[in-house]
Parts: sequence; structure tokens; C-alpha cells
Amino acid sequence: MSVLTRIGHRLRTVGGLLRFFMHRQRFFFLPLLLVLLVAGLLLAATGGLSYVAPFVYTLF
Amino acid sequence: MSVVLGISALYHDAAAALVVDGEIVAAIQEERLSRIKNDPSLPFRAASACLHRAGLEARDIDTVVYYENPYAKLERVLLSLMRAFPRTWRQFPRALGSQLGSKLWVIDQLAEGLGVERKRVEFVSHHESHAASTFLCSPFEDAAVLVVDAVGEHASTSIYRGKGAALTGLQSVDYPHSLGLFYAAITAFLGFRVNEGEYKVMGLAAYGTPRYRDEFAKLLLAKDDGSYKLDLTYFAHHIGVENGFSRKLESLLGPRRPSHRPWNLGTDEDQHYANVAATLQLVTEEAMLGLARQAHTLVGSANLCLAGGVALNCVANARILAESQFDRIFVQPAAGDAGGALGAALLGAQRLGEGRPKALSTAALGVELDLSRALNVATEMGLRVRRVDSPADAVTAKLAAKRIVGIASGPSEWGPRALGQRSILALPQERDVRERLNRVIKEREVFRPFAPAVSAERSSEFFLGVDGDMSPFMTTVCSVREAHMESLHAVTHVDQSARVQAVTAQGAPLLHEILAGVARHNDMPIVLNTSLNGRGEPIAASATDVLSFFARHPIDALLIGDLMIERGS
Repeated sequence: MSVLTRIGHRLRTVGGLLRFFMHRQRFFFLPLLLVLLVAGLLLAATGGLSYVAPFVYTLF
Repeated sequence: MSVVLGISALYHDAAAALVVDGEIVAAIQEERLSRIKNDPSLPFRAASACLHRAGLEARDIDTVVYYENPYAKLERVLLSLMRAFPRTWRQFPRALGSQLGSKLWVIDQLAEGLGVERKRVEFVSHHESHAASTFLCSPFEDAAVLVVDAVGEHASTSIYRGKGAALTGLQSVDYPHSLGLFYAAITAFLGFRVNEGEYKVMGLAAYGTPRYRDEFAKLLLAKDDGSYKLDLTYFAHHIGVENGFSRKLESLLGPRRPSHRPWNLGTDEDQHYANVAATLQLVTEEAMLGLARQAHTLVGSANLCLAGGVALNCVANARILAESQFDRIFVQPAAGDAGGALGAALLGAQRLGEGRPKALSTAALGVELDLSRALNVATEMGLRVRRVDSPADAVTAKLAAKRIVGIASGPSEWGPRALGQRSILALPQERDVRERLNRVIKEREVFRPFAPAVSAERSSEFFLGVDGDMSPFMTTVCSVREAHMESLHAVTHVDQSARVQAVTAQGAPLLHEILAGVARHNDMPIVLNTSLNGRGEPIAASATDVLSFFARHPIDALLIGDLMIERGS
């Protein structure tokens, strides 16, 4: 699968996320999300986030 | 032809389920293939195995349905982190790293990993998946549906009305209030691993007395409408990820139990922890009863379907059947998160215009045995292998000779219970069998009970209140008749209960035949049935897993398909 296809998938997910928050009227999340999405991509790129604790699903 | 693949993953116990033309074809937990207990990773192995069973390929899939809404999940995570700020400041980077670095993109990852178009991958909500997984597989045309787990997107408890093929949400309790997380927190307090130790707590509870009702009344406040609230000052699941309980809980109940200390219920200290377990179990049962009564009030049906991890609490299920207004209860065998994959697949099939599947009559939905490979591997291992004309007769003869026998027959089980497809069997009348199994073969705590498998036709001769809907999947308990308590000592828990599997020819054909053979031997169609796995391992699935278990654990004989393998050179 090409890189462009993968980028297309991610953009589709970002669009779905923004539509979801708009629909839920969580407008105050949008600026936070834009910053966090960038931070999230950076964090994912570091690859140091695999530790999973027992109650991980309650917060993450 | 419609082909729908359901997926649950990323939190605990990932699974895939395949529905073809509206009927359930396969359902497999990833742990059975990866050999990692409760493996949460995206279940590509399980998905591939499901397709293989149906003779299909990824390009044949019409829709992939993920079992929860990743956007709503992120919303809940953000909200709960912000509400508890600044106590959550340490969790922020990890939580958001996990969500935005991985989990948010699950739909993309599924499309790319499975090799299907992105537009063919959809999602449904977590509790809707659970509700569908039990109601749509049940034998009921109408039912109240109760989902109780740790947490999905927002809801931790939900009541639905099920009618025909439709599910309508009626009431819910939202995170951070959660009966599942309440049970999990005390499980952690007792020194067990969360998501694995809850059933140990249920077994331990029978050894204690519920002495701490007043203390537990401070933790969980049940309301008249069946809903409940936790006093969050005693818990920590909403602000941290390590324990689930706060120091205030230790002030109330005493210090937590060290996790690696061996249990000795003869000491006052461990008896105290057994009393805590007993109180937890009682409070949970009462909360479940309150929810069930509310479900009956809202829906008015005589039938109840249960799902979610808490629905695996078979003692609570028995109390609901005995004490609520419901006449019948169905619990899908993989009631925990794995089961969400099945619900998601069934909801996806509905969207394609399919109706309800046939009621679930067997849990044998998993991995098939490759007998030619089994023969080759066993021969290479230098094991004594022989083909037998009648596998049931061969196993019966071994059992009658007081042997402990492993059996592997047909597709592996769906859900956490071994139901006669990958089981270890022994005669329960043998005095030392429980000790030998617990200490030498399974290497587990001595307080944990073993379950009996009994032929459904004669179950009421030996047990009281065997339920035809739950007992085939071992999701409830019954009382052992007093006249048989002595002879069934090895499968009778300390409170005179037993987690009975009522075996039908349709549900587990080989086991049913073995029980008939055992009855010819001693007029009691009952065997002790425990899962074919060692400590910390998933239940064996493939032929090589089964042989590997035999090589590492001292059972006396093993049957794989029509191959009998015995100890000795």
C-alpha cells in the first residue's frame, strides 16, 4: 500500500474525528486536538509508548 | 453472499468473528494463536484463521466492523483527563500518546493490515456490540439485555430492549462509575492481576464471610432505579493506571495483599482477604440483581440476555435467575471484550440486510485440528501414538483406569471456558485428583474449584437447578445434590456449588459420548473438566499447542482427533 494511500486514510480519520466533535458540539476540543494530533504523531514516531499498565483501558 | 468480519482489539482479549450470509461461521481470540494470554493486539492472525475456516480470502470481505467508536473513546479520555486535572497531569502524555499515536487510527490500521478498502471498515459502539453479541445469538425473540463491564466509550453499564433483530438503549451508567472497575480495583487490592484474577476472587469468596458490608457501603451506593455510584475517593482508575484504588481504600480495608505471597487460608491474615472477597462478591451480586430488576421493569420480558466482563460472574448469574423475575437467562460464552467482535459482525450483517443467525448451540467456533501434522509432530517427538477406532471409548477406558486425560476434538472453543473441545478430563470420584491437577498440572491456587461436565439428559439427578440456557456454556453455578457431595468432592466448591457444564450431543459431541461411556462404567455421566492449558497460558488451540502442552505437563494420556498418545517409551 502506497504512502499516499496511507496518508489518505489518516486524513479521512482526522475528518471523521472533527465531524464527530462538531456533531457533539465539543468546539472547545478543536484547538486542543489540532495541537495534540501533531504532538501525537511526534510521540508515535518516538516509539517509546508501548508500556501498558493494568488499568490502561480506563484512561487511554 | 455477504461476508462480515467483526474485530475487537487494543484493550484486552482481542478477537475476530466471521459472519457469512448472516450465520456465525467462526470466532477466534487472538491469544489462542499468538499464545499470549489476553493478547490485545490487532487480531490479524485470528481474522486470517476465521477466513481460512470459511474458505474465503480478505478480498471476499464485504465489511469489517470494529467493536467500538474510536472518536467517542478519545472524547471520553480527553474529558476524564481534563475533569480530574491537575491530578491527571502525569497521565496526559501517556494517554494522549496512546490515543493519538495509535488507537485513533485503528480503522486505518485494520484496512491496511487486512488489505481491504478503507471505506469497507466501519465501527459500532462498544456496548451495542456487547448487546448484539448476546441477544442476537440467544434463543429469545424478545428480551431485556444487560451489559455490565469496565468501560466502553462512555457507558459502563447499559440496559437495552431486544425485539426481533432490533436493540433499543434504555438506560446507562457512565464512567467513572463502573461495576467492572469496582470489582477490578478490589481484585488488584487482593493481589491478583486485573482482567485475569477476577474469577479467582469469585472462587476465593466462598472461603470467606461477608463481614465488611458497612465498609463496602461507603464504596458503592446502589440506587432504587438499579443504577449506582462509586465514591471515587476510594478509587484511582480515573486518575491513574496502576492500581485502580487509592490509599483511602487501604485505610478502610487494611493494607493491600502482596501479589506474590502464596495463599494460606488457615492464617488470620489471608482469612481477612477472603472476607474482603466474599463481601465484594455479595455486593456485586446485589448490584447485578438491582440492575436486572430494573431491566425487567423497563422491558417487561421474561427473558434476559447478559454481556460484558461482569456477566462472566457465574455466581451472580445464578442469583439473578433465582431471585429476579426473569424465567430464562442467556449469556454468550465470550461475554467479555472478545465477544464484542461477534456482536460487531452481527450488527454489520444486519446493515447488509441479513436477519438474525440461528441461536448459538456450540462454542466450537475456533481453530481446526490438523491431524496429519499432529501425527508427524508426535512421531518426531518420539511419542507413543496409535489410531483408535472409537476415541470416546479409548478416553473412557483411560478415565476408568484413574488416568488424567487431555482431549482435543474439532474446532477450539470461543470464550474463556474449555467446553470439551480442548479439555483435561478426570473422574471426580478420585480423592487426590483435585490436588494433583491444582498443584502439579495446572500449578494454581488450591482454593480454585474444578468444574463438572455432566450429560444434559441426566444433569438433574446430580445437581439442583441446572439451567438449559446457561449451563451448556458454563456461565452459571448449581448446587450439588447432598446425596452426591461425597462422590463429587473434586468438583464441589466449598459452598456446595459447582459450575456445571450440561453437555449436549450438539454442543460437544465427543464429550457427550465420553460421558455416556463413563455412565456405563459407574452409572454417573460426570467428569471433571478443566481447560487444556498451563499456568499463565491461553487454552491450547492447534494440534502443536496440544502436543506442546502434553510434553510440558504430566497428564497421563492425550487424545487428538483419533490419535491416542500415552506416556512411556
